Amino acid sequence: MLRCSQFIRPRFGLNQFFRRTVHSDSGLSPVLLTRARLLASEHAKLTDRLAESFDAKIAKRAGELAPVTSVLKEWDSANDSIAELKSLLEDRQTDEELRSLATEDLQSTNGALPAISGRLKKSLIPRHPFAALPCLIEIRPGAGGDEAGLFAYEMLRMYLSFCSRRGLRPTILKQDVEDGPSEDRLSEAVIEVEAEGAYDILRTESGVHRVQRVPATEAKGRTHTSAVSVMVLPSFPETGSSMDNALNFEDPTSDYYIDPQEVRIEKMRAGGAGGQHVNKTESAIRLTHFPTGTVVSMQDERSQQANRRKAWQVLRAKIAEARQEAREQELVELRRGVLGGVARMGRGDKIRTYNFGQSRCTDHRCGTTIHNLDAVLDGGDGLETVMENVRTWMADREVEAMVAEDMAKNKQKK
Amino acid sequence: MPRIPTSVLIKAYQGTPLLPLLLQECRTLTSARNELRWLRERALRDNQPPRLGSPGWRTRLKIMCQQRSRGVPLQYILGDQPFGDLEILCQRGVLIPRSDTESFTFQAAHLIRQMALESNDTPSPRRQRPLRVLDLCTGTGCIALLLHALLAPNFEDMQILGVDISPTALTLAQKNLAHNMHLDLLTNRAVTQVHFHRADVLGVGDESESVPKIQEVLREYFPRLENSDGSASEFECDLLISNPPYISTADFRNGTTSRSVRRFEPQLALVPPNTPQSEMPDGCNVEDVFYHRILTLSLQSQSKLTVLECGDIMQARRVVAMYQAMTTDQAKEFTMEVWPNSEHDLAAHGFHPHDGSRCVIIQRAR
Repeated sequence: MLRCSQFIRPRFGLNQFFRRTVHSDSGLSPVLLTRARLLASEHAKLTDRLAESFDAKIAKRAGELAPVTSVLKEWDSANDSIAELKSLLEDRQTDEELRSLATEDLQSTNGALPAISGRLKKSLIPRHPFAALPCLIEIRPGAGGDEAGLFAYEMLRMYLSFCSRRGLRPTILKQDVEDGPSEDRLSEAVIEVEAEGAYDILRTESGVHRVQRVPATEAKGRTHTSAVSVMVLPSFPETGSSMDNALNFEDPTSDYYIDPQEVRIEKMRAGGAGGQHVNKTESAIRLTHFPTGTVVSMQDERSQQANRRKAWQVLRAKIAEARQEAREQELVELRRGVLGGVARMGRGDKIRTYNFGQSRCTDHRCGTTIHNLDAVLDGGDGLETVMENVRTWMADREVEAMVAEDMAKNKQKK
Repeated sequence: MPRIPTSVLIKAYQGTPLLPLLLQECRTLTSARNELRWLRERALRDNQPPRLGSPGWRTRLKIMCQQRSRGVPLQYILGDQPFGDLEILCQRGVLIPRSDTESFTFQAAHLIRQMALESNDTPSPRRQRPLRVLDLCTGTGCIALLLHALLAPNFEDMQILGVDISPTALTLAQKNLAHNMHLDLLTNRAVTQVHFHRADVLGVGDESESVPKIQEVLREYFPRLENSDGSASEFECDLLISNPPYISTADFRNGTTSRSVRRFEPQLALVPPNTPQSEMPDGCNVEDVFYHRILTLSLQSQSKLTVLECGDIMQARRVVAMYQAMTTDQAKEFTMEVWPNSEHDLAAHGFHPHDGSRCVIIQRAR
């Protein structure tokens, strides 16, 4: 329960990614309003304390709360003026001219209300703990054999070009191909997107992507269905100390701490003569995290130091994502207690279908269908649209979850 | 050399036609694919911007793969090899840095840092001169340069001396110093703190008068300071590290040494010169002749830490025994170990439990 409080950070600076507003009715659930008021009063307290003495932590928190406060003010003043206008209209002594003006004003204010409440909701959505981080995208073929490997390669191309279009610099950390006739059957790939906030942009992509088409390898013209799993992982900098306290993976009290004792480091080596006798160019390294059984191996660079660093980066990302996921699962359980069935899309769920026969791409979360598959697969506008809709969908879910959470809390109090 | 399984060959042929060429040296598909990618990246990079009239990158790649299939080491084709975080330039006539040596260098840096921390706890008046590091048979200069990169954050004042008999190696080592400073992988201090000098470590080939003896060089670079106890020698250093030639003539010929190493890397850096039995120290194998000489220097210079790379466990044990025989009267002053030994160290640094190289680490007890 206590954990929840650290999620309550306004989503500010990311609004640009939420051009489409959260679907909203002008009425705001009382739970949300209470929460907004609580945060606003906290903000007031913090600003008072800041006036006395400066503290970076408090300033940061206050900065995070500022948007809530300002939107809440707007909301209050809009409601006040509505009340005032209404009383004016009800008053029999108001003359005709004033009355018509008041009606006009009331209409425009009422019209503005949904937008304000939408903004308020958005400012209340807890910021994802990894939102500010760069990310890693891991692509692995799932069911479907060769065809899955081929499509995984196409998805790699898709994300690379998406990132380049968006001005995010993608680098391939790892690209393993399967044994066989062609170079483009992926068995695993990891892309690093170094831009800050890349995690938040790309986290819509985590999950199982399904492809339906007649594969190049199919002789009889049958349509196959295969799957590719994509995981978007947070990428931590090399040293933890430059991070927030909560994200500092070198700090044993952090949620993302990895005890080096729990990681086995192995450099692959066969028997036979070594040292000056031979000149091996292999520099593969493998890390195993016992408690979770996570294994990362890296061999793409000539330098073993570089391979070592990359392997650690991927291991840290995987473990942090898994821990975050476990924590979200806890919250989902909590919500279930209140709302009954709460849908949640995990990495195991099918999120999107690419159907070549009908040239369409459907996202199963937001229900968007794009009837121009090429525009999606070349990482261009099509993909952008789908991702945008998913973001809106995710924001809506988060608002719902927040309401449910608060309701659960209230229930427990009673 | 075990045959490449037919299935692997078929798979390689199904890939690009260049893969089978690389497979001859790499022996496994994964390794061949990695090398192909590295070669392709280099061919593309060299072709930036594309020049008119010169062959395209595909031609260049094909030529490189053909060279590789003849056994030319990848590092001679590409011209460099990563060593720690450094980029060490490689050229014919100078031994290519090995990853084993990299591990030993890291371990040496780790130990010298640890020793410095311990001696800081008990303040001694002797810490007035800079940390002195001697790298014998330096070759590309990789050990000396990596030690500077690793120790620079901890030691303000350092003197690192790399010694080799080959002028080609010394020129390359000097080039590597400049190259890594240019890449910002070494601090600016390196230019004054790292030196390379020509010297004859063995001192047996007396007809080559032009090569200075190692003692003369050490007297000049690492002179003994006034306030130390009066013993016989005239020079001293803190860390003595070396990867000397250690392959026996038999092992060089009988297939233990891989074909590519035998044909393309300098024998001077691999096999110790054939010393007549009369001039050999008692009970010393020909391939161990450098160790006898270096251990003597280690004793004379009173080095606190000595790290010597050896070809295998047997050779490392012979070196330990040799040192024990040399120091019978003062055995308690030293701790000796063959590294890596523990299961953890073996796995973490990629050493086989029985095969492959080891290093001997001698620490002088305080």
